[in-house]
Amino acid sequence: MLIRIIADVLIFIGAIFATAGTIGVLKMPDTYSRMQASTCISTLGMLGAALGALLYAIFVMGSASTAIKVCVIALLIFVTNPVGAHAIVKGAYRHGIRPEKPMEVDDFRRDFDE
Amino acid sequence: MRKTTFPAVLATFVVCFLFWIVLDFSFKVEELVAGAVVSLAVALFSARFFIHEKAGWFFNPVKLFNLLFYWICIFPVELIKANVDMAKRCFTGCTNINPGIVKIPVDMKSDYGQAALANSITLTPGTMTLDIAEEDGQTYYYIHWIDVTATGKEAGDAIKGNLEKGLRRVWE
Repeated sequence: MLIRIIADVLIFIGAIFATAGTIGVLKMPDTYSRMQASTCISTLGMLGAALGALLYAIFVMGSASTAIKVCVIALLIFVTNPVGAHAIVKGAYRHGIRPEKPMEVDDFRRDFDE
Repeated sequence: MRKTTFPAVLATFVVCFLFWIVLDFSFKVEELVAGAVVSLAVALFSARFFIHEKAGWFFNPVKLFNLLFYWICIFPVELIKANVDMAKRCFTGCTNINPGIVKIPVDMKSDYGQAALANSITLTPGTMTLDIAEEDGQTYYYIHWIDVTATGKEAGDAIKGNLEKGLRRVWE
């Protein structure tokens, strides 16, 4: 019973961070800040849900294979997510997307701008 | 083209075989043998793309332990700190931000180390790696930072701080 409560609390924490990320994606002023806010969803939001599912799989379901699969899902998200983020951010910058309010410090533009 | 070496094949084989066991999760002899054959074939074809440097570190228990320690103790602490900070910004109306792109120096020679550090920085909310550049033997990262408070070396200390210390114990 105690384990059930801990798992629920973990999933709830994950949901709180996912909500924060969603609010950020909707309200942030420019593309790059929106990308930053969405990182909240895929790290701690996902991690909370995965840890809750892991506890549930081990202690309530008693299934080792489900537990290991939850671990693999978390690991794969952690490995693949930053690769996509690099590609999107760099692609957006090279494509010429700039924030409306100019950035205070922009070393990338200073070094590479045409 | 790079040559296929035996340690590289062995390391790739071990990774593929562990992944097969995890996904399949049955320990009958036939399935294990089938997995070994498939893993060996994959390792022979892809080892030269998968392993770029010496494969020896993969079998070094001290370095593996340091990597595990980094993943379990150092990285989650930074992750939770940055997440709480980001969530605060989001819940208070997304106005107290000051985004910018800073260039920070990185003291890491190994390709794997650089990739791991860049990915760790991207995974932390609030910082995101755009590009890696090399000038006069010194590696630089371009980082989009949600709240710029410093530039140059101080920015580097604020962004990568403990992450780089933890990773330098694994890769030079």
